[in-house]
Amino acid sequence: MTALARRAGPVLLLLLLWQLAATATGGQFLLAGPAEVAAWLSDNPGLVGRALSVTLASAAWGFLAGNLAAILLVAAAMLWPPVLGLLTGLALIVFCLPLIATGPILRVMMGPGDGPQVVLAALAVYYTTLIPLLAGLRAVPSAWIDLVACLGRGHLAQLVHVRARAALPYLVAGMQIAAPAAFLGAMVGEFTGAERGMGVLTVRFIRDLNTAALWSLASIAALVSIAVYLGVGAAGRFLRLERPPVILAPPRLPQGSAGRRLGRAVLLAGATLVLWWGGMEALGLNPFFAKRPPDLFAALFLAPDAGATWQALLQAAAQTAVFVLPGYLAGLALGTGLAVALSLVPALSGLVTPLAIALRSVPVVTTAPLVVLLLGQGALGTIALVALMVFFPTFVACQHGLQQAPGQILDILRSHGAGRVPQMRHVRLPAMLPAFFASARMGVPAAILAVTVVEWLATGRGLGNLMTLSASLSDYTMLWLTVVLVTLASVLCHGGVAWIERRVLRLYAPEQVEG
Amino acid sequence: MPDSASLSITCAGLTKIHDNGVAAVDALDLRFEAGRTTALIGPSGCGKSTLLRLVAGLDRPTTGTVGIAGLPPVQQARRGVISMAFQDPSLLPWLTLRKNVALARKLARQPADPRLVDELIALVGLEGFQETRPAALSGGMRQRAAIARALATRPQVLLLDEPFGAVDELTRRQLARDLPPLWQPLGTTTLLVTHSVDEAVLLADRIVVLSPRPARVVADLPVPLPHPRLPQLTETPAFRRIAARALQALAQGVGDNPALAAQ
Repeated sequence: MTALARRAGPVLLLLLLWQLAATATGGQFLLAGPAEVAAWLSDNPGLVGRALSVTLASAAWGFLAGNLAAILLVAAAMLWPPVLGLLTGLALIVFCLPLIATGPILRVMMGPGDGPQVVLAALAVYYTTLIPLLAGLRAVPSAWIDLVACLGRGHLAQLVHVRARAALPYLVAGMQIAAPAAFLGAMVGEFTGAERGMGVLTVRFIRDLNTAALWSLASIAALVSIAVYLGVGAAGRFLRLERPPVILAPPRLPQGSAGRRLGRAVLLAGATLVLWWGGMEALGLNPFFAKRPPDLFAALFLAPDAGATWQALLQAAAQTAVFVLPGYLAGLALGTGLAVALSLVPALSGLVTPLAIALRSVPVVTTAPLVVLLLGQGALGTIALVALMVFFPTFVACQHGLQQAPGQILDILRSHGAGRVPQMRHVRLPAMLPAFFASARMGVPAAILAVTVVEWLATGRGLGNLMTLSASLSDYTMLWLTVVLVTLASVLCHGGVAWIERRVLRLYAPEQVEG
Repeated sequence: MPDSASLSITCAGLTKIHDNGVAAVDALDLRFEAGRTTALIGPSGCGKSTLLRLVAGLDRPTTGTVGIAGLPPVQQARRGVISMAFQDPSLLPWLTLRKNVALARKLARQPADPRLVDELIALVGLEGFQETRPAALSGGMRQRAAIARALATRPQVLLLDEPFGAVDELTRRQLARDLPPLWQPLGTTTLLVTHSVDEAVLLADRIVVLSPRPARVVADLPVPLPHPRLPQLTETPAFRRIAARALQALAQGVGDNPALAAQ
């Protein structure tokens, strides 16, 4: 009973605050409170029910396909380790593709059906499954591998008897992050011109400026996300799986001399071009919308209007960068700061943590129209949304990281009479670093997704707007150029964070980066 | 069936230089007679474990060779005749004790033998814990489980890397009495790495004393004591005499090393 009260308390508090805020700003038609949401939902149960079931079905198929792809890729890499580096590199590039641009392209290729939603849902989940799974398969004591080896068995027996089961908790943890992401991917897919679903309704009510409906849809999306997040977590507990220490472990690959690393980067770039070009030729895709690498090269360097193309791209990129950078840094700082503050004042954590864990699974992007509605189309709204997108995963990861501080070392500090602050500085913060960097890395594509969605749906600026504009004008060359630009920027920023991460962790958590 | 023939182990010019340039084993020539138990003792970090890993085929020598009955270790491993117990018990946490022990037979592609598995578990004193998971066992109990697992394949080559480190003194002596009769009838060639001179004398037919890194042979002592070796044997003059000679050789090995002698 008390456990139930402890869980229900924060939720009730949130509902109360929400209602109060809605009542206070009642005249401005921006914020609909829980009462209005409930009223709107009870008036339109059939509409919402049908849309929800369509989106859920797409999300479920995408979830299944994305996870299956991740598992197969990882299994292949385990049986043939040399391809591991190339595979994770390609996986990262695909993960960094801007959904806002791939959506319309998939729409042209696959028509008005459910195809693009399912593909985008799959794209949204496979990476968050792939990376924990790899970490799990590697998180095997070397003595277990020796045991298999000294009994005369190889990679397959390792995978079947040791690694697969050892990776299971990591797989479930990854799927837990992936489940809400699948819903998000399906909704973004529906934004790009589906016929039915939650995303279609959202776009419609943005046009009508129907606040009550928008808040209702966002609430439903949030509830569904929290439900699937908790559902996967409950499944993990039912299977009595232990929670892995770090879910999104850092990439260990770029080791060796500068020359070898450069060689690997060139190999990765080459493989990407071959897959891109070769894939389009193999599938016989229409060159009108499926642009090949030479088409883009021509547009940038050979065409008479190349100068204008460059200018449009760079101008949009600059507009986007101005919002995405402060938002990303603010989200990281707020998430880390709150986690540290709660660790220093544990009394507050009982109230805030359940809320944060619940809200983390909310697909922030689906609330983009609302945030912009609330904070305006200026810089503040966009930056706030990017920050929000980065804030929740960072907060939850850092909190988890702070708890990983080794108890024996804390005991030693306590035995010397060290208080909470020295404990934080000497033990907890270093223990938190792997989790912090993992979320900083994963936050890069998330921040770019957030900013492009806001630009597209609300502010009409930057790369997000350029993508949608190009898509609606059938300027597929420009659309592909933005895809390449955003993906390249994402991958490079991701790589930059990983570079800092390796340097810092080599000092504070060498077991995470070596081996 | 591999059960009948015993396998001798020959190290010739065996050298292992680790990636960081440290020579763990340097030009070692040693022969371990088939069906005998040899204890390898030496100071910490002297390369004993490296030697064991080379014999198991887990590491490749930098130069020189290891032959098990004339074949490379990796080939013998594929036949499932080698078994190893590690310093860390390394039981799989998601398997019960019984399944952990049975896993070795599965990995060695041997038919399941529940009776043998239960016998071994009882022999290492873990009867009643068959369905327990490793997390619920103490460190010593886990090490005993790892020994049961190593024996479950009825190995012809048994490599024990400090397998009794966390086992309490009384249990250790009891295991020293009960384990050798288990592998002796199989004709198992056993190598035991240990820090404890008493343990070496209790378990082995021969003690090889190694110098600090890189490992060289300082002394090669026979242990002509009859089996089974009961715990009270440690109090006898014969036992103490061998133990004293081993200890002396250990000290001499350290003394030979100018770096350590200076300390």
